[in-house]
Amino acid sequence: MKFVAVIRQVPDSESRLKIDAGRVDLSSATLILDQMDEYAVEEVIRLQEKHGGESVIVALGPERFEEAVRTALAMGADRAIHLVQEGYLDPITQAEALAEALRAEAPDVVLTGGQQADWDSQALGPAIAEALGWPVVTWTTALELEDGQARAKHDLDEGAEVVRVSLPAVFTTQQGLNEPRYPTLPGIMKAKKKEIRKIPISAASKVEVLEQSIQERSRLGKVLDGTKDPHAAASELIRLLHEEAKVI
Amino acid sequence: MIADRKLAKKGGGWLLERPEGIFTPEDFDDTVREIIKTTRTFVEREYQPVAERLEHGELELNVPLMRKAGEQGLLGIEVPEEYGGLDLSKTISTVVAEELSPTGGFSVTYGAHTSIGTLPLVYFGTPEQKAKYLPKLASGEWIAAYCLTEPGNGSDALAAKTKAVLSEDGKHYVLNGTKMWISNAGFAHLFTVFAKIDGEKFTAFLVERDTPGLSFGAEEKKMGIKASSTRMVILEDVKVPVENVLGTIGKGHQIAFNVLNVGRYKLGAGAIGGAKHALALSAKYAKERVAFGKPIAHFGLIQHKLAEMATRIYAGESATYRTVGLIDEALQGKSGTEAVLAGIEEYAIEASIIKVLGSEVLDYCVDEGVQIHGGYGYSAEYPIERAYRDSRINRIFEGTNEINRLLIPGMLLRRAMKGELPLVDAATRLQKELLEPSFDQPDDLELAQIDNLKKLVLMTSGLAALKYTTKIEEEQEILATAADILIDIYAAESMLLRSRRLGGGVYADMTTLYLYQALDRAQSAALGVLPRLAEGDEMRVMASAVRRLTKHEPTDLVDLRRRIAQKVLEAEGYPQPRA
Repeated sequence: MKFVAVIRQVPDSESRLKIDAGRVDLSSATLILDQMDEYAVEEVIRLQEKHGGESVIVALGPERFEEAVRTALAMGADRAIHLVQEGYLDPITQAEALAEALRAEAPDVVLTGGQQADWDSQALGPAIAEALGWPVVTWTTALELEDGQARAKHDLDEGAEVVRVSLPAVFTTQQGLNEPRYPTLPGIMKAKKKEIRKIPISAASKVEVLEQSIQERSRLGKVLDGTKDPHAAASELIRLLHEEAKVI
Repeated sequence: MIADRKLAKKGGGWLLERPEGIFTPEDFDDTVREIIKTTRTFVEREYQPVAERLEHGELELNVPLMRKAGEQGLLGIEVPEEYGGLDLSKTISTVVAEELSPTGGFSVTYGAHTSIGTLPLVYFGTPEQKAKYLPKLASGEWIAAYCLTEPGNGSDALAAKTKAVLSEDGKHYVLNGTKMWISNAGFAHLFTVFAKIDGEKFTAFLVERDTPGLSFGAEEKKMGIKASSTRMVILEDVKVPVENVLGTIGKGHQIAFNVLNVGRYKLGAGAIGGAKHALALSAKYAKERVAFGKPIAHFGLIQHKLAEMATRIYAGESATYRTVGLIDEALQGKSGTEAVLAGIEEYAIEASIIKVLGSEVLDYCVDEGVQIHGGYGYSAEYPIERAYRDSRINRIFEGTNEINRLLIPGMLLRRAMKGELPLVDAATRLQKELLEPSFDQPDDLELAQIDNLKKLVLMTSGLAALKYTTKIEEEQEILATAADILIDIYAAESMLLRSRRLGGGVYADMTTLYLYQALDRAQSAALGVLPRLAEGDEMRVMASAVRRLTKHEPTDLVDLRRRIAQKVLEAEGYPQPRA
């Protein structure tokens, strides 16, 4: 069997981003393998350990993505395909380009992150499934293969359901799917010798980013005077916490 | 020793010839960066959850943590592949030491095992000894300890009283004695013990934990690194098989000192890692803590501290990786005892420099770190408090800073005497030059200032060597003065060469600040010993030479430090250059 993890490289959520001329400046950011994609990498390695076959990493992004691809290989995946294009591509366009590479690979299972940290979007997995005409299970927290089919548990807003789905299929990850390993030193050394096939592409994005900004957080500094009418002040405080701050 | 190599690449050669380029952290390849990430993840996932318990006396938690480190490959970095290791570069073992450093006591457990515990076998073991022990040490199944110091001798290691006597059947050595301050003693399985055969021949022995007659003292109650195990190791008629003699009989000093050399540059790297941690804690705190209506990061005296901390870290980091780069280059294609001589003994001077520099940078940073935290820095609730206590041992172990200060000029002089370094020629040439000084403005002021410091140290040590000849060892204060100038030269030159590659900015600012202070320190120190070395007219001529060689123009250090502090605050810690 063949298992593919589609991965992306994103800024670490703890790194401080700068905006330069309406654009996010990544030059001082730490870039990492998307943590939601880490679950996908871990899962394809586990599937391979259990069922045999091959675990493959597929990525679409600029040259710099190679570092994240290497991390995935160091975790234990067998080889990688890197579709290389600089600049922004919307998720639907990416999914179309990825679908082409995935069709050629003909895997049984494709896994990718339930959410892309940098776009704050959940589109990529379903869009890949759509482009391939395969079924999709989102927010997967458990996955088992049996007789050419998959049994998967996926999160709902306030609950979960277990589904059976025919293969090939696309699954997007949810926290709890597994506990991703991190590269061992021997894994890192082996990854240096693993194949990364680079394929330059030139897709045209359907969405263009015009301007980026970062939400500035500052305190409102609102002070309620409770010296004259403490009861009214307390009621007002409760109203503000409930309606504006939405914390109670 | 290495005749075909350039002077600048020989140990101590930089005093006579400026290198064209140096190795810096910006040269790290993807593999090194990936290993840094894995080490950080190890700290977060494996160490952090048990950190508090370890710190409060559950020392046995070191053992599973070491096993996990073994699983991740962190214990096999310097072990050959055929014995279950990875045989990776010194750069890699050094970055790992740096990254593990904020774990305090655990980093001591790790360092005692991988450096002084494992390396004697790697470099001096027989194939049988290596096959028997190294796979266990590389996996963490066994933990190693190194037993050199005794209750009655520390710095004077060769004065060991532990004795070994060959049994009548010639099959065993019987060891008797006591070893003091032994890291990992609480749980180690293998001990490298130094003892004198028949009270004379200083020799290393591999002793297994369950050997009858081996016992241990109680855990020492230490100021810091509390998560590490430190005990006395007592040997009473311990029978060690003759095949467990490590290296050559009577040449134990070769093992003891070279293993310490490795320990020293790694200690320096670890200290720099700890200092970065202290600076990050302090910068964040300074941004959050408000006094007089403003974050204290706003105030000049806080900025002064942050700038000084970053500058010294930059000095220590640049000097450390410069040296590690040289060692890796020299070790190319070599292994075992040959590697020790070519790569490790060769750079013993630099290893001592890094040990002293790193441990003192760390002590400065944790001290000012506590100060920035104010009362909270004195509370165990804040991590800077533990960093402060954990730091202090670094100036004591792996050879006290005093011993290392004596070694630095001592080794240089010895190499000059042996003709390995043409220091005497250089000193003779210098004397002529000093009598006919040139007043031309140099093209490159900062490089010229570093060259001048080299001349200054040659001049003062030359005078001292002439006056005291073989009795120079008794003039410890003069030797330490030379050592201080040499440390500053090596640090400042490393910073300058690196800054030029980084294209200036805060790195140039930090270099300027360090160099200014180095010239200041050198002038004061040299003038403070000169009257002991010369008198009358000669003294006066020399004094004006000292002033000329340490000349530095008035500089607005306030502005310089404020600029550096801004970068520290932006980065919320050490402004690590990006490759």
